[in-house]
Amino acid sequence: MADVPLFELRGISKEFPGVKALDDVSFEIRAGEVHMLVGENGAGKSTLMKILCGAYHADRGSFFHNGEPVTIHDAGAARKFGIAVIFQDFTLVPYLDIAQNIFLGREFPGRLPGLIDRRRIHAEATRVLDMIGFDIDPGVPVHSLGVAQQQMVEIAKALSQDARILVMDEPTAALSDRETELLFAMIARLKAKGVAIIYISHRLSEVFALGDRITVLRDGHKIADLLPAETTPDQLVTLMVGRPVDTTYTRPSRPTPGAVALEVKNLSGPSGFSDVNLTVRAGEIVGLCGLVGSGRTEVARAIYGADRVTSGEIRLFGERIGGSVEDSTRRGMALIPENRKTQGLALARSVGDNIVLAGLRKLFPSGIFIPRRAAKAARAIIQKLRIATPSPRRAVATLSGGNQQKVVIGKWLHAEAQVFIFDEPTRGIDVGAKAEIFRLLDGLVHNGAAILMISSEQIEIVHICDRAYVMRSGRVVGELPHSELTEANIVRLGIHQ
Amino acid sequence: MSPRVFSLATLPIARVPGVAIVLVVLCAVFGLTSSGFATPANITNILTQSTILLLLALPMTVIIMTEGLDLSIGAVLTFASIVLAVTVVTTGSPTLAFLAALAVGLCFGLGNGVLIAVFDIPPFITTLGTLGIAQGLSLLVTDGQSVVGIPRSIEAIYSATAAGIPLPIIIAALAYFVTHVLLYHTRFGTYVFALGGNREALRVAGISVRGMLIRVYVFGGLMAGFAALLMTARLNSAHPTAGIGMEFDAIAAVAVGGTSFERGNGWLLGTLLGVIAVGVLRNGLNLLAVPSSAQVACIGALVIVALFIDGMRAER
Repeated sequence: MADVPLFELRGISKEFPGVKALDDVSFEIRAGEVHMLVGENGAGKSTLMKILCGAYHADRGSFFHNGEPVTIHDAGAARKFGIAVIFQDFTLVPYLDIAQNIFLGREFPGRLPGLIDRRRIHAEATRVLDMIGFDIDPGVPVHSLGVAQQQMVEIAKALSQDARILVMDEPTAALSDRETELLFAMIARLKAKGVAIIYISHRLSEVFALGDRITVLRDGHKIADLLPAETTPDQLVTLMVGRPVDTTYTRPSRPTPGAVALEVKNLSGPSGFSDVNLTVRAGEIVGLCGLVGSGRTEVARAIYGADRVTSGEIRLFGERIGGSVEDSTRRGMALIPENRKTQGLALARSVGDNIVLAGLRKLFPSGIFIPRRAAKAARAIIQKLRIATPSPRRAVATLSGGNQQKVVIGKWLHAEAQVFIFDEPTRGIDVGAKAEIFRLLDGLVHNGAAILMISSEQIEIVHICDRAYVMRSGRVVGELPHSELTEANIVRLGIHQ
Repeated sequence: MSPRVFSLATLPIARVPGVAIVLVVLCAVFGLTSSGFATPANITNILTQSTILLLLALPMTVIIMTEGLDLSIGAVLTFASIVLAVTVVTTGSPTLAFLAALAVGLCFGLGNGVLIAVFDIPPFITTLGTLGIAQGLSLLVTDGQSVVGIPRSIEAIYSATAAGIPLPIIIAALAYFVTHVLLYHTRFGTYVFALGGNREALRVAGISVRGMLIRVYVFGGLMAGFAALLMTARLNSAHPTAGIGMEFDAIAAVAVGGTSFERGNGWLLGTLLGVIAVGVLRNGLNLLAVPSSAQVACIGALVIVALFIDGMRAER
């Protein structure tokens, strides 16, 4: 049995109008293995998974279940073979409890016709949750759970339907380190039970820590099928992007830091941080690190004026600012939020509209919108940041993650911001585009901007920042000058001893 | 493993105070300002008068939980009441008349549901349209006049008592019980939460979103048809303008009761309290001889106050 894969896709091709999404891709899944699927955005990972779960039809190719040829014509057929996908957007109902969510659509009938047996649903849910080692009351409504716990519920839901093959699409994207650990522990348990896991990830560390096998896709082709032990991260990245890319982005020389642009003194706030002190000079990129939940985002939001502070002061170019977003932006501060889709962009609006949004007052002092002037301003930014869009009129939602991020940055560039706070600027952006975002940050500081950058990827902080502050439990616990800025030092300070 | 998640703010119980505080304050104010308020007779009166509104507010809760709205419910109530009265006057059969009223409710509910679920017309627009149709038909059929000559047997439904409890209260209690079971102990109810909370979850589970949405609006129509029986009995006649504004009261009661207009966050008991709060307010203002136009303004204010209290609590 060992050499017959649990499930196999052979010679899969799929074409969309104008794009060859997949070209003769073969993929096998073995029971009890974690199979890493990697590749840049647009490499064909999602298309392949959608074909596997029956959401798309392959133009060519065949499927084998335990060596037997089978067909997958819809989602029901895929479920029959035990294939389940944990989507990034959860399919959970917030005001139903965990048990009801797990058995949604498969409620047990009650004693009277038409009724459901909530007690049995509850009991069965408890059993499934026990199986994955998730210790929680199944009567808790889902809206009160954190992202990680909701993900566990999704997994429980899949397993309750006898899933043997679990597809996870960037499952750790929204998890803290602690939650990631829990997820990994659960994956280990599932593996031991013989569940096969297909794991899509952009994080190289995960690929090597978890994977039993790695499949690399690029531009719709299968590039390699690797064993982690025989591969180095650099090799993997080269395979993914098709050209040698230095993952360790080398920073060009920086200008000598100028005057203090942003100064935060003894800042405390109700959202969970206290006595925070930091400075950022013009021409400097300063990192703000720490685990997710250490208060980084909260501090950033408070500095920006989006959250209340209880004490302390914030000075911009020496002047005390009033703690409102309006005041901060008028004085040249910009926050590029973690979630660009919900907080950074008006997704349905055009690239041009988004770019001029924050600078409307400067662009149209009379208050009357002049389309030609807006388009001209937008084009200038598109050119400057090399945003890949056919036209400023294209909706932002149609752009890739990296280009969307450039639009957010372009918006503040147009508004002539001088102090930028970046919250996870490379989240969900593929390797190639990351380097471009970094070049952009470099460009900003060369023009005299001051940047405070939050990132969970310590390696990014090390490579791009001039120095960094490390937070833990709502406090700044250390400052690392450039000479001491190493991953090890960040982790050492950030983790509770 | 992971810590147990338990937070008072996430339980429905945390919403009690919004509507309960309002109810207690209203009762206290009217009890102090009006000697006729806190008497057993008046309290029975308030509850009896609230029954028609409850019959509309129950399905309105369900509809709002699906992120929908039914503006037509008051007009459908009116038209069903007219059809009921005309049928009973012409045929002499109360049963047939009642079935005719239910049929009117069913038709409008089905129409609303199909337009919203199949043709994807927003609920606000759809039910605004059917409100106009139902109201227009009522005026057309009656030529703006009341329909009189209702037999005693129908009138008795409103005035009769069983074991000392007015029949309308028993009917309303039954309707509440049925809706509660429907919402919390059937597949239909489970899917109502999903319709408002995450329709994709339903689709993935292989449940027809359209079918469920249609059922939700049919439930609303049927309850309006049922309420027509109580309203005709109460007025001992049918008026083409009798139900005007009832949708406002129903939506207000649901909102006061703490049901959110988003994400399938609803609470049936809150609606019951909301209906009683509206009933207490109307009754108390009547006792204080406040004109009914000013009462509408007060109900509007009631909604804002209740939601303001809920909002303040949620912030902490």
